[in-house]
Amino acid sequence: MIEVQHLTKRYGPVTAVDDVSFRAEKGEILGLLGPNGAGKTTTMRVLTGYMPATEGSATVAGYDVFTNPIEAKRRVGYLPETPPLYPDMTVREYLTFVAKLKLPGSVSRSERISRVNGVMTKTNITDMANRHCAKLSKGYKQRVGLAQALIHDPEVLILDEPTAGLDPKQIIEVRDLIRALAGNHTVVLSTHILPEVSQTCRRVVIINRGRVVAVDTPDNLTQQLKGSATLYVQVDAAGADAAAALSTIIGVRQVSEHDRREQSVGFEVASDTERDIRRDVARMIVDKGWGLLELRPLRLSLEDIFLQLTTDENQLAGGSKEFAFPFDGAQGDAAEAASESEATPNA
Amino acid sequence: MRNVFTIAGKELRGFFASPMGWIIMGLFALLFGYFFLAHLDYFVGQSMQAQQGGGPINVNQFMIRPLLQNVALINLFLLPMITMRAYAEEKRSGTIELLLTSPVTDVQIILGKFLGVLGFYAALLAVTMLYIGILFVFGNPEWKPVLTGYFGLLLMGGCFLSVGLFISSTTKNQVVAGAATFVVFLLLWIISWLGQSAGPAVASLLDYLSIVWHFDDFGKGVIDTKHVIYYLSFITFGLFLTLKSVDTERWRG
Repeated sequence: MIEVQHLTKRYGPVTAVDDVSFRAEKGEILGLLGPNGAGKTTTMRVLTGYMPATEGSATVAGYDVFTNPIEAKRRVGYLPETPPLYPDMTVREYLTFVAKLKLPGSVSRSERISRVNGVMTKTNITDMANRHCAKLSKGYKQRVGLAQALIHDPEVLILDEPTAGLDPKQIIEVRDLIRALAGNHTVVLSTHILPEVSQTCRRVVIINRGRVVAVDTPDNLTQQLKGSATLYVQVDAAGADAAAALSTIIGVRQVSEHDRREQSVGFEVASDTERDIRRDVARMIVDKGWGLLELRPLRLSLEDIFLQLTTDENQLAGGSKEFAFPFDGAQGDAAEAASESEATPNA
Repeated sequence: MRNVFTIAGKELRGFFASPMGWIIMGLFALLFGYFFLAHLDYFVGQSMQAQQGGGPINVNQFMIRPLLQNVALINLFLLPMITMRAYAEEKRSGTIELLLTSPVTDVQIILGKFLGVLGFYAALLAVTMLYIGILFVFGNPEWKPVLTGYFGLLLMGGCFLSVGLFISSTTKNQVVAGAATFVVFLLLWIISWLGQSAGPAVASLLDYLSIVWHFDDFGKGVIDTKHVIYYLSFITFGLFLTLKSVDTERWRG
């Protein structure tokens, strides 16, 4: 459905995308993951025919975006990083304009109106139909942008950071919407928010400094780079010195204190992957008479993989030090919503 | 062609949906009104004198023609305001991404934008027709030279607008676009002044290049293909430059 081959894009002396190749099959959701400035937006802009590539080719729905741009563009819906809204237009006027622009001339007026109404229902913006785009909140702007991308029912949807700036509830809605769209549409979405990828995408392309560093399913990536398993253990004040005791358990490689509060102490317990030490840890803590407050596995998250792949080689050996606490706020709103389901304690 | 009209319609609507369009229209009407009054005053004075000696003087020649020529001056100040946002604003707000990723060609986008701004300019001219209408109510001017005059104004404005579009397509900043457009218009306007101090050969060349000079015959009621072709080729050249500018931007990213 989408085929990118040896794509290179240079802006003068700067190489933004360097020999990138990937494919997306019909109906799948492909995530483009990378830090800011990695070349995600540039890749998408080439795919949508917004700008030509310096070298290489991109084919969308069987049409080369460079040699046959009009046909390719007919089959692509694109949501840029900032939704391309005209502030002076109402949502309905805007969508009608986009519909006229994107639908072929053969589509009748009534069909166009029903399309506009259809996408407004789908993206849940019907109540804002007569509001000017300038007066919409960020979340609504994003959804109008999404509606705009969907209006001609494209085979391919290209979404540049579709959930950026949304509140947790909206993020979940947008993700559900994207998941619902897959199947009929092929979706390529870019993000630097990692939980998003593991939740929505079937395959991930990790890009760093314009190069593809990994292409795989989120699960495989996690598996592949998993060297050790880590548990997070929190005990009450009685177990303040549990570190020494914990390290005596068979299979434990390393115990480090993670946080210390008045009522509790948290430890990070690293162990060999092949051994599940959860039962042993729990039994020992109970035997010692300490209060076990929390026990959950810290999976090597996509975040860690991402950090490993996008940082320098010499840092690769280091394990994960990053915790994804449900309401840590490190990733902003997005992570909050995302980690609700991801980081559920399964003790 | 449908795409061209869709974009033209959007541009045109944009003027009437924002205060800017109404401000430009108000200013245009105000300035035209001032010139109308000044010329009317002069004309009344002239015709008083004429009545004392000889027959009545021609309202077309002494009033409407110089009045329409003055529109060129109003254009100089107000047309940059029409074109400055055309591309610059789309580039700043990112809506250009929508246009460039829609199944429309660059030529369709440019023609659409051009027709949009030309349409708005035509609306400005339509407002000035109210003033001319007053002359028809109280006097008896010929309508044909008025019509050719307006046709000429439309073509002359088209030239300014095509240049303005080109300049707007080179920047993200409307203010820069507006200022640069004004300077270029001014140069195109004063180019014929230079001719006055030059030799006859150079003078005729500079006259030929001057957008305003070509309007003269239209004001007299003459549609000379020489001028029509000049204006049309000027417009085509302006739009061609815009096309190249958009294309270059695209490659540069």
